[in-house]
Amino acid sequence: MIARKAGAVLLHATLLGLGLLTVAPFVWMALSAFKTNAEINSLDQTLLPREWTIENFVNLQETFDILRLFSNSVLLSVTITSIVVYTSALAGFVLVKYEFRGRTAIFAFVLGTMMIPWAVTIIPRYTMFVAVGLQDSYLSLVIPAALSGFGIFMMRQSMGAVPDEVLEAARLDGASETYVFHRIVLPMSVNAISALSIFQFLWVWEDYLWPYLMINSPEKQVLAVGLTTFSGRYGTDYGGLFAATTLSIIPVIVVYVIFQRRFVAGAASAAVKG
Amino acid sequence: MTTIAPSGVPADTAPRRTRRRLHRGERSLRTTVVLLVVGFNAVLLVYPVVSALRGSFHRWNPLNGTYDPIGFENYATLFTDPVFWRTALNTVVFGTVVITLRVAVGLALACAIFARVTRWKTFFRTIFYLPTVTPLVAVAYVWKLAYHPQIGAVDTVLGLDINWLYDSTFALPAIMVMTVWKDFGYAVILFLAGLYAIPEETLEASVVDGCSPAQRFRFITLPLLAPMTVFVVVTSVIAYLQAYVQILVMTGGGPGRSTNLISFLIYEEAFVKYNFGYASAIAFVLFFCTALMTVVSFRLAGGRSLLKAAR
Repeated sequence: MIARKAGAVLLHATLLGLGLLTVAPFVWMALSAFKTNAEINSLDQTLLPREWTIENFVNLQETFDILRLFSNSVLLSVTITSIVVYTSALAGFVLVKYEFRGRTAIFAFVLGTMMIPWAVTIIPRYTMFVAVGLQDSYLSLVIPAALSGFGIFMMRQSMGAVPDEVLEAARLDGASETYVFHRIVLPMSVNAISALSIFQFLWVWEDYLWPYLMINSPEKQVLAVGLTTFSGRYGTDYGGLFAATTLSIIPVIVVYVIFQRRFVAGAASAAVKG
Repeated sequence: MTTIAPSGVPADTAPRRTRRRLHRGERSLRTTVVLLVVGFNAVLLVYPVVSALRGSFHRWNPLNGTYDPIGFENYATLFTDPVFWRTALNTVVFGTVVITLRVAVGLALACAIFARVTRWKTFFRTIFYLPTVTPLVAVAYVWKLAYHPQIGAVDTVLGLDINWLYDSTFALPAIMVMTVWKDFGYAVILFLAGLYAIPEETLEASVVDGCSPAQRFRFITLPLLAPMTVFVVVTSVIAYLQAYVQILVMTGGGPGRSTNLISFLIYEEAFVKYNFGYASAIAFVLFFCTALMTVVSFRLAGGRSLLKAAR
């Protein structure tokens, strides 16, 4: 009994210790955003700022129009995530609930698309989008992301669990397939949708190379790319960099907290029934 | 799958009618999806892959409009280039270490959180997943500063004086540590989901049969987690062969070539030097390796189960 108690205490101590290690970089970053540059560059480091200041955030807006980049990224991430969730759900539904010739072939093909590294397609895509004049337009960021192999795979795996009887019952009541999909299958897939939303939002939010290649106007640029130009232009403004990275992390955390209750169950649907 | 299908669901063994009547609106939905998937991938995937393959046999520079056929020269250059081999070795080391640690740490923590005595499960789940949902670009900057020899938190806390990112011995390990920290939460969440999907009765039966916890883990938990392990390993292989952001932000491939990874090499050749043909050749070698490793890890862990729809 005592041994078991000791074991439980040890287990919790270990988990808490590792948890601290995990959040330490975040805490350090967020606190450093409120330090003056002189203090960040001093050799005598403390965790808490000696004098709190918000000048880093104020300077960011003045030198860098961070709010602009920020809202660009939010707009893009929300748009692309909504599109991907919808197209993935629709394709997943058709691929798992309808039987037709070529269904397995299409699904295997979709799985195969996940294996193709960005490095293979990015050069021809770049030349394609430049050729049709979509450079510096958000269309060039939205179009290639509109359909996701990972998303289709995930939605298909989870929609397999929706009982056929429920769909049949609705059909007997005269529901059309669009009604069945939008009003029954979508609400029943809320776990998988939550998980996919978290993954997809982060992917768009942190995507660097494609927007960097496609978007030229500074006022259209996204936050991830902005961060890298920022560090080049103000090489030693660590305070500003800390403030900018802190800001760039917040929205993803917010999305995660909103969806997290259903997230684990949804992530499970990416694999198979154990 | 978390939901266990209720009994009474017709099993796959039920006789299939060859021609069933289509539901109202089924044909249009089906056509929409097939056209969407096929059309989208034809334009944005198949065509680019084919043109990249063609381009890899050319000297291709968009800046001065060069597009000359040179046969296998790009590939020949590639396989005799020590930089490429060094980079390939770095990528293998980086991938192996990071994936192993990700799976090991993820599995251990998932089991710890899953244990009956553990409290504040949601809290731990959230904490461990936080790094995974933060943008890599941002995280890479934070760690770059943390590794700074004078003002960085790492040396300050550990009381060391190592210039992590500018020392060819420590640079790649430093990046690996940061990558594991960033990504282990993904494995924790997926393994937890897998653990919750194991039927209660199975675990209880093993207790009744007098299994020790070690035996239960070895003969029940691990085999039942196999599909999830395949999924974690395969997605990790695909992801880490394409890692470049850490390198771009933290070291630029240096010092020397000690932290150069394949995808970063491709990025440099393509969009810094504009050698599109050569970059495409490297990309195809990467593609081939990705496909090969995916198939191997799939086979090893019996990934066939992933293809079956869970009903």
